[in-house]
Amino acid sequence: MKKFIKNNGTFIALIFLVIILSFLSPSFLSSRNLTNLVRQVTINGIIAVGMTMVILLAGIDLSVGSVVGLSAVTVTLLMQAGFGMWLAILVTLIGVGGVIGFFNGFMSAKFDIHPFIITLGIMTIARGLSLVLTQGVSVPVTNLTFAEIGSGYIPKLPSLIILVVALVLGIFAVFKTSIELKNGEKVRNKARLTGGIILTIAGFIAGFFTFIGYQGIPIPVAIFAVIVMAGIYTLRKTRFGRKLYAIGGNEKVAWLSGINILKSKTMVFVITGVLSAASGILLASRLNGASPNLGDGFELDAIASVIIGGTSFMGGVGTITGTVIGAIIIGVINNGMSLLGINTFYQMIVKGFIIILAVMIDVLNRRETA
Amino acid sequence: MAEVILEMKNIIKDFPGVRALDNVNFTLEQGEVLALVGENGAGKSTLMKVLSGVWPYPTYEGDIYLDDQLVRFDNTREAEEAGIGIIHQELNLLPDLSVAENIFLDRQPLNKFGGIKWEELYHNAEKVLARLNMDIDPRIELGDLTVGKQQMVEIAKALSLDTRILVFDEPTSALTDSEVNELFTVINELRASGVSIIYISHKMEEIEEIADSVVVLRDGSTIGDKINIDQVTLDEIIARMVGRDIEDLFPSHDFKRGEKTLEAKNISVPDPFNPEKKLVDDVSFSAHKGEILGISGLMGAGRTELVNAIFGVYGKKREGEIFLNGKKLDIKSPADAINNGIALVTEDRKELGLLLDKNLVMNMTLPSIKKFSSKLAMDKHAERAVAEKYVDELNIKTPSLDVFVEKLSGGNQQKVVIGKWLITESDVLILDEPTRGIDVGAKTEVYRLMNQLVEQGVTVIMISSELPEIMGMSDRIVVMSEGKKTAELERSEADQETIMKYATGNKGVE
Ligand SMILES: Nc1ncnc2c1ncn2[C@@H]1O[C@H](COP(=O)(O)OP(=O)(O)OP(=O)(O)O)[C@@H](O)[C@H]1O
Ligand SMILES: [Mg+2]
Repeated sequence: MKKFIKNNGTFIALIFLVIILSFLSPSFLSSRNLTNLVRQVTINGIIAVGMTMVILLAGIDLSVGSVVGLSAVTVTLLMQAGFGMWLAILVTLIGVGGVIGFFNGFMSAKFDIHPFIITLGIMTIARGLSLVLTQGVSVPVTNLTFAEIGSGYIPKLPSLIILVVALVLGIFAVFKTSIELKNGEKVRNKARLTGGIILTIAGFIAGFFTFIGYQGIPIPVAIFAVIVMAGIYTLRKTRFGRKLYAIGGNEKVAWLSGINILKSKTMVFVITGVLSAASGILLASRLNGASPNLGDGFELDAIASVIIGGTSFMGGVGTITGTVIGAIIIGVINNGMSLLGINTFYQMIVKGFIIILAVMIDVLNRRETA
Repeated sequence: MAEVILEMKNIIKDFPGVRALDNVNFTLEQGEVLALVGENGAGKSTLMKVLSGVWPYPTYEGDIYLDDQLVRFDNTREAEEAGIGIIHQELNLLPDLSVAENIFLDRQPLNKFGGIKWEELYHNAEKVLARLNMDIDPRIELGDLTVGKQQMVEIAKALSLDTRILVFDEPTSALTDSEVNELFTVINELRASGVSIIYISHKMEEIEEIADSVVVLRDGSTIGDKINIDQVTLDEIIARMVGRDIEDLFPSHDFKRGEKTLEAKNISVPDPFNPEKKLVDDVSFSAHKGEILGISGLMGAGRTELVNAIFGVYGKKREGEIFLNGKKLDIKSPADAINNGIALVTEDRKELGLLLDKNLVMNMTLPSIKKFSSKLAMDKHAERAVAEKYVDELNIKTPSLDVFVEKLSGGNQQKVVIGKWLITESDVLILDEPTRGIDVGAKTEVYRLMNQLVEQGVTVIMISSELPEIMGMSDRIVVMSEGKKTAELERSEADQETIMKYATGNKGVE
């Protein structure tokens, strides 16, 4: 039991938070509010997926917020200049997210400079670029379909089908992963099985209530879900994921075992750059325009989500699932405090404390197991 | 008979999945040097951690009597205060602090304002070091000392605490021969002054030389009573340890030297801190199929640097050429070396060999992950199967494949590193001090494995600081001194004196 609480601490914290907020503010649990909350989470969540990989390598990426801003500005300006929507998006993802990510990763890995320094520099440079490109003023989106990406919904019927498929797949996955090898024999972990099924069904009901009860699944949420699943798969199943855990565990050992550190690190920063760009594009679409200061401070929420989600800032330990829970916690706190009419200034203070708390828990856990 | 000062009675210690200690009993007398021996994972380190308060009372069962008084330590501090000091298998010092600060950590003399009285601190440190006849400046940073000297500092630290019982857990595994001699002199002096010593080692010659008596641990239990060293042969001790007789430590082989495989020509590595000097200075050698090539030399002779250079560790800074089966290789990183079929079992398992907080499977398959994955996904079943096979083959003692390797005993960790490189199925296997810290039984297993590999056509190169091992296993021996190759000897012409002569820098003709 104690172990259960320790392993699922953040999740339990999230449930408590939701219960408390639903008492404090009756509108918190409305379909409309929850849909908005989830949509807000996606902007930060997409970045946090990349940030998880960066922190797994014991690195950090401070430039994500500026990449969000620069991407939003770039995609908008490209469309104004007559580029088609998809072309503009593609150019932004690669030209802004990919290139900046490559620079971050390559510079820090090749010259063995802590990414803190490189990404801090890029953070300022990218912000400066956005200001130069826009001359410091907001730029409006002119393309109408573009706005759909960030604010549209998947209609209710297809949404329902997606949820049902997810339910079935989820239960299937629970069945598969609840088998453990014990002394060479396959044993089913009953607790994990029932727990998993209850969670999956609860998730389905929550999804049904939130999305079908309102206007369907918001498109950014669907995109986020795909990114999350791809991220989980990458870390858990692929060779690339394995390499990241190894590098985070001990870079020297990984290198002596034949892992190309430069390539892996660069790849991780490229992924993070591209995801941040995607987040920026979604935001521009949602807001129907871009201001050069967009994304300011986003790196903090992303880092906080990752750390709250149990990824160790020492590297080598962490999961995307944890990060998603962390991102939702941050979202719930933001949303809840707004609902309660708490000034955003205070929200910042509260979030700061929560980050420190999460890091403390990580450090104490480490001590205990050492 | 001298007075019994320590008795450990019915000690039991469980870890999740393993009983590390199962009813251990022994006594220690004043001024006695007691050797504690046993296979890897037998529980030696764990027993000493119980004694020294690393594992506090209710985490183990049983009683410890000090001068007939029952003691139960809550932490290492209390054990230290009761006069029990321990030099751990892994050194426990802070390399960035001065020698004196390391000796008096947390106990520095303070002035009224809580500042350290440096002169007094250095003076006290000098006094303790003088007791060991050690000429070490207490002001210098610990990290600047050799491992042997660092160990002396650790001993000094224990002595400064009025230690009556001093535990050494495999103290000599990183020491040069002369440092071992220095250590033994110190141990003899300590014994004469009435300090009791518990000495853990896998090196039988050392035990014969230094110990008064022996206690054998096997699978967590004491086997038989304490025996006087004069009344027992080493073979009898080994038989007690492993539960069977070991006929010959170095299994003989009779290979026919085949074609040249790995060839290194004019390998040099510059010293990064001193451009005038070279870590490896123009060394050439070749290894053949069907033989084991030994590389011998004193510590710091550049042997590790030489094999690291071949393995790509120095990247473009390495000079010289490497050929495999006549083809010139372009090796700029360990990845290149591995891709060309070269494997290196590194010397320092904690820093260079293992991901300590990862499980056995992940550690063992790391250099060969390509084999266990398609473009998209890892094949976890295949991975486990291979890891399981090598755990069996190498007799690695572990509760499961899923424990973090940091929980394994030192010797079993070493076997994981060896297994990790065996799985790569490389054509050339270089082993840097492969048997460091592993027990006699496991050593013969590793030797047998090396022979088997040679038979299968693998080229095997072994660095070792232990002369018997080098002479017992190699067909040809390259001797190095100060970065240079000083000799290349056939097995028939190699004896202890000849090797030592070349190892100490006598540059011979080839
Ligand atoms: N912290 C720990 N957690 C779990 N198991 C442990 C821990 N420390 C030791 N063990 C287990 O206890 C057993 C005894 O280990 P110990 O380190 O005492 O062996 P040892 O005799 O010192 O071996 P070696 O000669 O290899 O150093 C091993 O099976 C080991 O895996
Ligand atoms: Mg040990």
